[in-house]
Amino acid sequence: MARTEVYEVFARKAHDEELKHVGSVNATDDELAKAYAWTLYDEENWIEMCVVPRKAVIPITHQGRLPLWGN
Amino acid sequence: MGQLSEPEDGDTSMTSGTAKREFESTQGMSDACREGLRNLLIACADTKLLLGYHYGEWTFGPPELEAAIACCSLSQSELGHVRLLHAVLRNQFGDETEALVEQRLGSAFANISYLDEEIADWAGFVAANYVVDLAVTRLLHAMRDSTFAPLRVNVEKMLDEERYHVHHGQGWFRMLCGKNDECRAAAQRSLHEALQAVAQWFGPAGDPHDEALVAAGVKAKPNPEIFEDLVGDVTETAASLGVALTVEPAAFDGWDPATRRSDASGPNEEILQHLRGSKNAIFKLN
Repeated sequence: MARTEVYEVFARKAHDEELKHVGSVNATDDELAKAYAWTLYDEENWIEMCVVPRKAVIPITHQGRLPLWGN
Repeated sequence: MGQLSEPEDGDTSMTSGTAKREFESTQGMSDACREGLRNLLIACADTKLLLGYHYGEWTFGPPELEAAIACCSLSQSELGHVRLLHAVLRNQFGDETEALVEQRLGSAFANISYLDEEIADWAGFVAANYVVDLAVTRLLHAMRDSTFAPLRVNVEKMLDEERYHVHHGQGWFRMLCGKNDECRAAAQRSLHEALQAVAQWFGPAGDPHDEALVAAGVKAKPNPEIFEDLVGDVTETAASLGVALTVEPAAFDGWDPATRRSDASGPNEEILQHLRGSKNAIFKLN
């Protein structure tokens, strides 16, 4: 049985806009993640939408810790 | 698209051979073509109407919250497609939505019969989402380059949205097949039942209406060929998951091209009343 994973959802409305993080979905595979992202975040006319498994995101800052210089 | 097995662009191209006449309206079509087109549009709209109903009902009850939200969204897009198809039927054939939805007997509906009754469980829903929905999408795909312009201009929008319906149906079919023996058996059983209903809906080889539509370039392929492609895709996906699917030849004795059935069945009265809002008719604004 496949395990549910978190996928981050990114989208943009125009070619000259950067991709923005619009939310996340829980899904067992990429195919369902695509369907869930499209059906959950369908309030805008996106020209591009993509999903990224959260586990594929490489953190730069340590979770829960501010970088040394603060921000 | 991985194993989604969508038809390739150009798969249903009508550019080969001699150029077909373009139709801005139904004027100039043969009687068989015109009648066949109306029947087909009603059959697609009826199926989408029933899909919209079932998707809406399954906004509550799916095994995952995300799937519930997806069902709600799928329902909205199906009902939107019904509006598009009804607009074509109104403008080209004079069919009013009121008459098509509110005033027809259940036995006059031309939806895929799998949707006639409430869907009992999630495996049954997945079969509707995957196979029944895909059947109409495949048919519309065969009309993306149609010589009938009023339909062609609406097909691309519908196909864009349908992409995610297939992802959802196929994705859940994979999930169920991979979960355990019980879920795999339920998915297999439901998919088989849905495919049999789809076979009946596509109709027999050599249907004069269907042949007229293909000859006029309104549709790229005869219905039995579209069905074969669909079965090929679905059985391949099923086989990759260790599920053997079989489809018995449909019986077409007494098959009616208007209802796409061989009997006088139709959606049950309770479903029709529910989707029509019959119990709330007194609150209608006009």
